[in-house]
Amino acid sequence: MAPQLLSSRNFKSLFDSVDTFLFDCDGVIWKGEKLIDGVAQTLDLIRSKGKNVVFVTNNSVKSRRQYAEKFRSLGVPSVTQDEIFSSSFAAAMYLKVNNFHKDKKVYVIGGEGILEELQIAGFTGLGGPEDGEKRAQWKSNSLFEHDKSVGAVVVGLDPNINYYKLQYGTLCVRENPGCLFIATNRDAVGHMTDLQEWPGAGCMVAAMCGSTEREPIVVGKPSTFMMDFLLQKFGTETSRMCMVGDRLDTDILFGQNAGCKTLLVLTGVTSESNLLKEGNEIEPDYYTSTVSDMMKLMESP
Amino acid sequence: MLSRSVASAVSPVSSSSLLPNSKPIFCLKTLSGYRSSSFCGGSFRKINHKPLRMTSSNMTPRAMATQQLENADQLIDSVETFIFDCDGVIWKGDKLIEGVPETLDMLRAKGKRLVFVTNNSTKSRKQYGKKFETLGLNVNEEEIFASSFAAAAYLQSINFPKDKKVYVIGEEGILKELELAGFQYLGGPDDGKRQIELKPGFLMEHEHDVGAVVVGFDRYFNYYKIQYGTLCIRENPGCLFIATNRDAVTHLTDAQEWAGGGSMVGALVGSTQREPLVVGKPSTFMMDYLADKFGIQKSQICMVGDRLDTDILFGQNGGCKTLLVLSGVTSISMLESPENKIQPDFYTSKISDFLSPKAATV
Repeated sequence: MAPQLLSSRNFKSLFDSVDTFLFDCDGVIWKGEKLIDGVAQTLDLIRSKGKNVVFVTNNSVKSRRQYAEKFRSLGVPSVTQDEIFSSSFAAAMYLKVNNFHKDKKVYVIGGEGILEELQIAGFTGLGGPEDGEKRAQWKSNSLFEHDKSVGAVVVGLDPNINYYKLQYGTLCVRENPGCLFIATNRDAVGHMTDLQEWPGAGCMVAAMCGSTEREPIVVGKPSTFMMDFLLQKFGTETSRMCMVGDRLDTDILFGQNAGCKTLLVLTGVTSESNLLKEGNEIEPDYYTSTVSDMMKLMESP
Repeated sequence: MLSRSVASAVSPVSSSSLLPNSKPIFCLKTLSGYRSSSFCGGSFRKINHKPLRMTSSNMTPRAMATQQLENADQLIDSVETFIFDCDGVIWKGDKLIEGVPETLDMLRAKGKRLVFVTNNSTKSRKQYGKKFETLGLNVNEEEIFASSFAAAAYLQSINFPKDKKVYVIGEEGILKELELAGFQYLGGPDDGKRQIELKPGFLMEHEHDVGAVVVGFDRYFNYYKIQYGTLCIRENPGCLFIATNRDAVTHLTDAQEWAGGGSMVGALVGSTQREPLVVGKPSTFMMDYLADKFGIQKSQICMVGDRLDTDILFGQNGGCKTLLVLSGVTSISMLESPENKIQPDFYTSKISDFLSPKAATV
């Protein structure tokens, strides 16, 4: 069925059939460091009607704790860290549920958020932002060394990507027996700043696919890996959840894969013409311009 | 257990085979890069040349499995031209492989044409000429075809307008070749020093007259370049996305493998969600170019290389005879592995086996 524009005619039936709203962050709640208009009031209103609110973000640069801090600094102190499911958290949880040995290390091509979540889960992380300062050497008698006890390489958004990190990660994946190659997500681009899109984790992950000739395990959207954790927290069925996002091939696909209702907002990477053009295969149940439209619809008689 | 030999074979290995007890996670499809190149987007200028074939030779089923080279003279007499890869065939890092000068001299004495085709885009043909000279080899710059040269030659072949610019994510070799061909370029190693700060109100500008982005091996790779290239490809109408090559790993030093051009190209594919036009092996562009330039028939060529998914596939795609040497990245067990689908006509340990005309021990 074609996506329906959210309106007073269909809003009530959607709202009444949902117990938990899942929100993406970049392009839905904020853009870079700016909160999108009306979001804080909309979230408060949704909670006041007895619904749960949860945030599922593919951006692995921060940990859940750091995201809660970001919400607070943007004027939304009601959001607690256990309502936030970032792909940094997902990567650490993946290793945990798969019984990754604590004597193995994890090499990180990505931000602090991943390192922090790994540490909280009891794992030893190497790499991360400080490897952005390192340079490889190419002399015929020097060898580029890598830690043979690395059992997993986790790749996420990394604005400090460089050759050193690509080489380190490549050697681990190609030469350490059984080394896992995990991607927090594969978003091609994202609104890292409010004014334009920037290459996303999909870029760093594809760089590693190019040198390792392997496909990664993806823990972020559209993989439904995170859904198990969400269900543990809220216990409702996924059919009583609604995923609200700005990206078709991650947010909406995630919602569909998990059996949730889906609502696309146009404040992020997807425009109405992208959505409605021929050839688009991912159709959300509903779409609307911005999250605060929900507030207007909740308040109208 | 993932050993290097399997990883170097053609098709990407699925990572889920390594997980003992996990459910398959949703996996996005493989970006293999060895599909036939497709021009994406509507506003491309029409290119009047044969499409670049890169798909594996399932199209022309090989009747025979590879054979060890036993009669070198017979092979030598059956062709007019030898195309040699460089890394792992002629040299390893900066060291000449044993017996190479005598072998090349012998072939020339027999009247054979010699050509050198390398995916390494860090140097220009002139710089490679110097490398050959330093190693004591008698090779002319006109006989060398690096993927840096291929990128410039490709742009010439499609009459890329001289008033458009080329953004380069790669090293000096590409810049030199573009300059020689008369093209304006931006980027290259200097952009490795550029930093960006992702803060509110920051906008990265890019030149709107960039009509092509050329991506190759780049040790000075960074986010600035990725974003610049991405903006050009996504926002400049008709902007071409050209890759010098997609080698996963390369022998920068003879001691170990290093992440190759396939990594940088992969990054741009990830952010633009477009496939590039590949000018280096296994694309047939360089083969078509030199066949045309020298007036040679492809059936009269023998391609000699150390890598199955670039050198040998290049030779097969071009309709040439193929000889794999084991002096580089491919071992006999990789060649004979059931996972390997690429069968060269012959294999031998190194090119100096040509000097002992009958069976050489492998």
